Amino acid sequence: MLLTGFINGIIMGGVLSLPVLGVAVVYGITGIPNFAIGLIGVFGGFVTWYFLSYNMVLSLFVGVAVCFPIGYLLQNILLTPISNKGGDATLFFVITISLGFVFEGLVKVIFPRPSISIALPYMGSFSVGGVSVEIIKLFALIFALSTLTVIRLLEIHTRPGQSWQATSRNLKLAKLVGVNTNRVFAVAHGIGCSLACIGAIFWGSLYNLNVLSGWELGFLGFIIAVVGGIGNIWGGMLSAMLMGMILSYSGYFLDGNWQSVILYVIVILVLIVSPKGILGSERSL
Amino acid sequence: MSETILKIAGLITQYGQLTALKNISFEVFENEIIGIVGPNGSGKTTLLETIAGTLKNRKGEITFLSRRIDDLTVRERRKRGLMLVPQENNIFPMMPVRKNLEVSGVLNSHEEVDRLIDYASALFPVLKDQQTQGAHTLSGGEQKMLAIGIGIVSDARLLLIDEPSIGLAPKLVTKLFNTLKQIKEETGKTLFLAEQNVKILRIADRVIGLEGGEVKFVEKSSSLDEKSFQELYMGQ
Repeated sequence: MLLTGFINGIIMGGVLSLPVLGVAVVYGITGIPNFAIGLIGVFGGFVTWYFLSYNMVLSLFVGVAVCFPIGYLLQNILLTPISNKGGDATLFFVITISLGFVFEGLVKVIFPRPSISIALPYMGSFSVGGVSVEIIKLFALIFALSTLTVIRLLEIHTRPGQSWQATSRNLKLAKLVGVNTNRVFAVAHGIGCSLACIGAIFWGSLYNLNVLSGWELGFLGFIIAVVGGIGNIWGGMLSAMLMGMILSYSGYFLDGNWQSVILYVIVILVLIVSPKGILGSERSL
Repeated sequence: MSETILKIAGLITQYGQLTALKNISFEVFENEIIGIVGPNGSGKTTLLETIAGTLKNRKGEITFLSRRIDDLTVRERRKRGLMLVPQENNIFPMMPVRKNLEVSGVLNSHEEVDRLIDYASALFPVLKDQQTQGAHTLSGGEQKMLAIGIGIVSDARLLLIDEPSIGLAPKLVTKLFNTLKQIKEETGKTLFLAEQNVKILRIADRVIGLEGGEVKFVEKSSSLDEKSFQELYMGQ
């Protein structure tokens, strides 16, 4: 049971780390917490599901390709202009929550099904210490880790990546040296929404996907990102793994209703001890 | 006489109801060092921020290289060739020194950035010696050098530097001012320095005195006596 809990926790953490990374990228760079990001990801998940019967690879591409421009345009048309007019945290909270309800409504109107399961092809399974693990779950974990690594490498070694870093570390100076911060914000939001979509697709293939999963992924993603240290990609990953573990073990040892009690009490305790998160925030706007 | 690079005419900047700059007018010529002096609250930083575009002017005109720029964004002004090195928050913390410099040349080619980094490192060897170190771990003086290095790598024709000497030991101030003069002579840049240190007279070609948001005088620094100047205008 211990090993099963561990493996399930790691995999759940890996899947959760994708929306976490989406939140971390968006909030870490733009400074705007988008609480609708999970719903946008789920919207992309439903689009993927819709096209799944035509072609699997195409459907995955379409889902992500729909979410990127949504994030890009939301930032450019809505959030950056509001930010330039001095929009504060409360305003962004209200606006992004409203956006979440817009996408919840869109999912309900366009895809009138309460819940879906994204059936990715069965890849087989293998056994670890007597515990059977589906390869798709391992794939989800490896994909999450690879995505994190690629994003980190791009951030460090490419010119656009340096512009991202500069924008998140010192927005005013980034503007002064000539970084196109509006484009950085828009691309970051596009990438964030795409990551949320990939997270939703994996979530939908491992569990079930519905509009509530969108709120869950968005809020949990945000909380996990804060616990890891906002803007700190590895902190977010570590935090996602720990949260996955907590959810998994509390589900095994206690009644399922205790999961959220234990999870959020631990979140509160961690933030009391370390307000900047486990590995510290890298964001300094 | 050199050509006019920057012309300010009837500039008014306000913070809400408070008028911080009151009908400011002057000209800056190519390849000179201008010292903007005045006590705290005289409007030095506001003036630099208004020229760079981080603050919007209420009235008046800012003309740079014969083109109005007061309706342009910060980035558009930067692309035209001017850059502000702020007094505070003038580095990218948590990024290595070298990356701070590289990202500052975002509008230049890679080759040009490498050349400018070499030049900045020759002026301030600490930028090369500690290039892999996080910028936030540098001492105050070293961070100041990095901030000016960022300005150099940006390759702006007009560098607006806010209080470059503040917080530095007297010996370091002299050294820094000499380096700024060297930059002017070697690169042909125009430097616009907001300062409270009287040593600015030693390197500036002209000095503009601000008080209460108004221009009190525009003088050649050679015509000013350091001691009386300090007593009269800098409250020291």
